[in-house]
Amino acid sequence: MAGTKNHDYHILPPDIAPLATTIGALTFTSGMVLFMHDMAGGKFVPWLGLAILIASMFMWFSKIIKEAHAGDHTPVVQLHQRYGMILFIASEVMFFVGWFWAFFDFSLFPSTLAEAVGGQWPPKAVEAVMDPFDLPLLNTLILLCSGTTVTWAHHSLIHGDRDGLKKGLWATILLGVLFSCIQAYEYIHAPFPFGQNTYGSAFYMATGFHGFHVIVGTIMLIVCLKRAYNGDFTPRQHFGFEAAAWYWHFVDVVWLFLFMAVYVWGGWGYPTH
Amino acid sequence: MATTAPEHFQGHVDHHGHADHDHKPSFFARWFMSTNHKDIGTMYLIFAIIAGIIGGLFSGMMRVELAEPGIQYLDIFARWFGATNPDFNSTLHVWNVLITAHGLIMVFFMVMPAMIGGFGNWFVPLMIGAPDMAFPRMNNISFWLTVAGFISLLCSAFVPGGTGLGAGTGWTVYAPLSTSGSPGPAVDFGIFALHLSGAGSIMGAINFITTIFNMRAPGMTMHKMPLFVWSMLVTAFLLLLSLPVLAAAITMLLTDRNFGTTFFDPSGGGDPVLYQHLFWFFGHPEVYIMILPGFGIISQIVSTFSKKPVFGYLGMAYAMVAIGVVGFIVWAHHMYATGMSVNTKMYFTAATMVIAVPTGVKIFSWIATMWGGSLEFKSPMVWALGFIFLFTVGGVTGVVLANGGVDDVLHDTYYVVAHFHYVLSLGAVTALFAGFYYWFPKMSGRMHSEFLAHVHFWIFFVGVNMIFFPMHFLGLQGMPRRYPDYAEAYQHWNHVATIGYMVMASSLVIWFINIAYAFLAGRKAEDSYWGEGATTLEWTLTSPPPFHQFETLPVIEEAAHH
Amino acid sequence: MILGKTVRTLGEAAKALGLYSVAAMAFSSSLAASSAIAAPAPEAVASYTPMKPTPGIGMPVEGGIGLQQQFSKLGEYGEWIHDGVLMPIITVITLFVLLLLVIIAVRYNRRTNPVASKTSHNTILEVVWTLVPVLILIGIAVPSIDLIAKQYKPAPKGALTIKVTGNQWFWTYGYPDNGDFEVVSNMLNLPGQPTINNGVREVGSKPWDGPSHLEVDNRMVVPVGEPVRLQITAADVIHSFAVPSLWFKLDAVPGRINEKVLFVEKPGVYYGQCSELCGAKHGYMPIAVEALPRAQYDAWVLTHAGGVIDGQAQPAAAAPAGAPATGAEPAPAASADPGAAATGEATEAAASTAAASAE
Ligand code: HEA
Ligand code: HEA
Ligand code: CUA
Ligand SMILES: [Cu+2]
Repeated sequence: MAGTKNHDYHILPPDIAPLATTIGALTFTSGMVLFMHDMAGGKFVPWLGLAILIASMFMWFSKIIKEAHAGDHTPVVQLHQRYGMILFIASEVMFFVGWFWAFFDFSLFPSTLAEAVGGQWPPKAVEAVMDPFDLPLLNTLILLCSGTTVTWAHHSLIHGDRDGLKKGLWATILLGVLFSCIQAYEYIHAPFPFGQNTYGSAFYMATGFHGFHVIVGTIMLIVCLKRAYNGDFTPRQHFGFEAAAWYWHFVDVVWLFLFMAVYVWGGWGYPTH
Repeated sequence: MATTAPEHFQGHVDHHGHADHDHKPSFFARWFMSTNHKDIGTMYLIFAIIAGIIGGLFSGMMRVELAEPGIQYLDIFARWFGATNPDFNSTLHVWNVLITAHGLIMVFFMVMPAMIGGFGNWFVPLMIGAPDMAFPRMNNISFWLTVAGFISLLCSAFVPGGTGLGAGTGWTVYAPLSTSGSPGPAVDFGIFALHLSGAGSIMGAINFITTIFNMRAPGMTMHKMPLFVWSMLVTAFLLLLSLPVLAAAITMLLTDRNFGTTFFDPSGGGDPVLYQHLFWFFGHPEVYIMILPGFGIISQIVSTFSKKPVFGYLGMAYAMVAIGVVGFIVWAHHMYATGMSVNTKMYFTAATMVIAVPTGVKIFSWIATMWGGSLEFKSPMVWALGFIFLFTVGGVTGVVLANGGVDDVLHDTYYVVAHFHYVLSLGAVTALFAGFYYWFPKMSGRMHSEFLAHVHFWIFFVGVNMIFFPMHFLGLQGMPRRYPDYAEAYQHWNHVATIGYMVMASSLVIWFINIAYAFLAGRKAEDSYWGEGATTLEWTLTSPPPFHQFETLPVIEEAAHH
Repeated sequence: MILGKTVRTLGEAAKALGLYSVAAMAFSSSLAASSAIAAPAPEAVASYTPMKPTPGIGMPVEGGIGLQQQFSKLGEYGEWIHDGVLMPIITVITLFVLLLLVIIAVRYNRRTNPVASKTSHNTILEVVWTLVPVLILIGIAVPSIDLIAKQYKPAPKGALTIKVTGNQWFWTYGYPDNGDFEVVSNMLNLPGQPTINNGVREVGSKPWDGPSHLEVDNRMVVPVGEPVRLQITAADVIHSFAVPSLWFKLDAVPGRINEKVLFVEKPGVYYGQCSELCGAKHGYMPIAVEALPRAQYDAWVLTHAGGVIDGQAQPAAAAPAGAPATGAEPAPAASADPGAAATGEATEAAASTAAASAE
């Protein structure tokens, strides 16, 4: 019969969220251009764009949650979401490949640009690096620990232990926030500047994008916590939670690579601060 | 097993006579808030055609300037873009803006939206028997982000970009010309244009992969999928894995330009060549992103009009997979002149040549499909035959360039320009027109004029060959690319190319007339207007298909062996 | 009129496509035979006058359709790979595909073959069209890789070094082995066009001027018949040092020094152009390499303030004092300031005096 769907796919009504989100994104990027060139509106337009962006994404994701409650997320739709999330994470991995590529290019081949860096890594201008076995190691432990707490939350959820779910999430979020705070402290006290040479550039941009992902992941977990309090998620259907957990693990793994490559190997034998 | 299978598809769908049950949303909701893959596909196609016209006009401006040595028109063009009394440098800068905009528009806002957003959106769900894409709402933002990117790119043309208005870095945006060499906001607008449309493409890729893996109709195994769907699958993976690297690279440009990092700035130990590695790690897969969907379209057409299943279906599918995989490890053949080490150069020479093998498999399989067939030279088929020949010409010159030692003399000359226009402007665009004539009646419900379509083909064919074949001669003679002016010795062939442009442009007028004719006076299209040879699922539906198709999923029956 | 010319040349082009590679090989070998005669006899007394280029040599030729004639060993090898290996192979492949398409169109259309076969497999065929291209490619790869290997042979120890620097938008050539003077090389202004490089003279105003867009005020002079080590870099953005007739192209990347051997077999002037987009005047920074026999090269060196030959010791032939003054028209001297070199005879005279007094 026409007009009646006889399948489990999710056919959506028209929606303004994509256009609104796009307007937010375009306003943000254009505003950033104004900001970067000290042009009129540069102090204001990026924030406006960001606000539109966040508001429309909020609208968008709220709708998804509503649709989940309405039962639109049939098993096959959930499968889509799984694929979608895995593929998204795959693209994020490639994004980090770009930053690692830059880092290894600078650190393995400092000799091609001998003049500016003194043919060595870290460059001659860098007098001290961070001690990897100080705060960075602590951060590693924090993130690893948060990986276990999120699994705790997941297992609790699967076994219907709502209390464990909340506790696990609380712990993960707090660890995430702690990580971000330590990272911020570290940036403030770092013995080398953001610009000026490749060490600072590669270090701050790679760890900075990681930090940004930690914050995004933390927000995802906070949303999950809120939903847990709202009584969302069932032991059988809780992809929103799983997606956040996958993302968190991804962020965790990126950190391990950063820690080993950028902090430990990249500052090997250098005076630490 | 694994023949082309499509001929056995049986759509168990009762759709006739119910089209009026489709309740379509109001105008605004339908076109600005769309979650319908066919509407979004239509918007992508219209967008691509507009972008193609703009990019084509830019190339026309380039061709008139190049008709003779000396600077004739750039000064006028500079005024068009809003410069008052441009000095000589800002006049010359217009040239760089033109080629940059032309390259970026054609690549990111014409070919990709038309192939992937347009035909991919329309026909992947139809061909696999799915009611829509996996993420209909995300599909919409993919489109709008492409529009946003285009707007950002257009903005860049009107703001300062160094020696004049607009971004004049070439579509490759090499540092440090794009960093310290181009102060002013233009290049930042350009970078954000790539960020925005790139984000859209990544989401599109996620959507296609999920759709193709999970939404095939019952009975349609991977090895029964039409080759167009295979081509989109491989393309989507290339997008997913290569675009983020570009995103990282252009983000580095952005921070180098505005926040004091030194990724590509040698005074801080940075390395301009690193940018080229990152760019081409994306850029080379990108060229296959632009051609693989074309391969898919050609496969469908060749099979339809030969009334034969595609020859060597599995070989065809896995050749595309092979092209996709090998496409990731050949990027530095664009960088032979950067001074890389001898071993690197040898490796990239060898690796690049490998791609000719799976591509040859495709060419020969198309030929074998037609061999023994009962060919009908309807317009899509004529375009497809044109494609096979023109792409071969472009492909073999690619093999010449692949030789690092030979590329030393051809790199950054018009030989390269000739090569990539043969695979793009004569390859990808020809595939687009083939697909257009193949599916236009299906999408619009109206038949175009076959006569005009044939005339369009022949004039276009003569025109583009006249533009681009002489460029091989110019390149061999050493004429460098990205030059608004040249030594007198290069005049002859440049003149021929410019005349060729006029010929080609007149063919586009015929195309527009044909579209107008179809809408004003075209016959109503039947469901399967190409006859028995067309066996994929879209031909089981009305033309145009209902607003929501396959509300009861079609079931693909087990193919009988033969 | 234009169309007539076009049709004619298109005809030529079509003819050339088929016969081109054979012809080109024959042509280049006959040239190789004749090249020995052309070298002007090295003059005994070192005076330097810029060389007048031979039309069609070291520069593109009107309506030309092939590679520029080559003047280095590597160039001849590369030309052979292109004209003798690649061109024939790709022409044959393309014509083969075209032939198959024509056969299909004639034999398997609806009228001649109303009932389509259903064949969709033939394993042997598929193996063949996979393996044959592999073999062809191996055939291409062998000489091609060999060419790359030869290109990278480092320069011998004693080779002359020249430092090439790309700037927006001119080239500078440093001669560290000859007293470390520097030559600033600007394109000559085009007659009737807006001024390109402030103050530099117009093309055609000196008897030795080569073609417009390609000629410069101060050429890069190199000794002929010996390997020269070029160290290439850039001062601002990426440029590319390219001379088609010497099979030479290497990017000038800021922060990097790219090194490669330049070898010119025959005296002459060889033109090239910047080959990496470098901003507004990318099209206006040509390269002119003037290859001279050693003695004349040395004389040229001595026209520069601070020019030194072989460290300290001067070969007797290059008798210093007063020599430059005897030349018909002294070379426009190099100067660190591109503007200064252009102020005409006065500067030139001053420069030759400077060269003389440097002794
Ligand atoms: C659709 C886009 C597309 C496609 C499909 C290709 C396909 C190929 N390209 Fe091309 N290329 C570009 C778009 C494309 N390219 C662009 C845009 C640039 C310039 C970018 C810029 O600098 O701005 C470029 C530049 C470019 C360069 C750099 C040149 C330079 O800057 O110096 C090289 C060098 O190796 C190259 C090689 C190849 C090869 C080997 C193939 C192969 O895939 C071709 C394979 C096909 C065939 C060979 C024909 C069919 C095969 C047979 C009939 C079988 C038998 C054949 C043989 C045995 C040889 N390309
Ligand atoms: C897909 C890519 C594409 C296409 C189609 C074209 C098409 C054309 N190009 Fe382009 N070109 C590039 C990609 C493309 N180009 C790139 C990447 C560069 C390098 C830029 C750089 O150096 O940075 C370049 C550079 C370039 C140069 C060199 C500039 C220089 O180095 O100084 C020239 C010179 O003549 C040129 C000319 C033309 C001409 C005359 C056409 C004509 O064929 C144009 C006619 C128009 C069409 C044929 C398109 C019509 C299509 C539609 C209207 C949409 C159809 C849609 C559907 C059917 C759905 N191009
Ligand atoms: Cu210097 Cu182009
Ligand atoms: Cu490539």
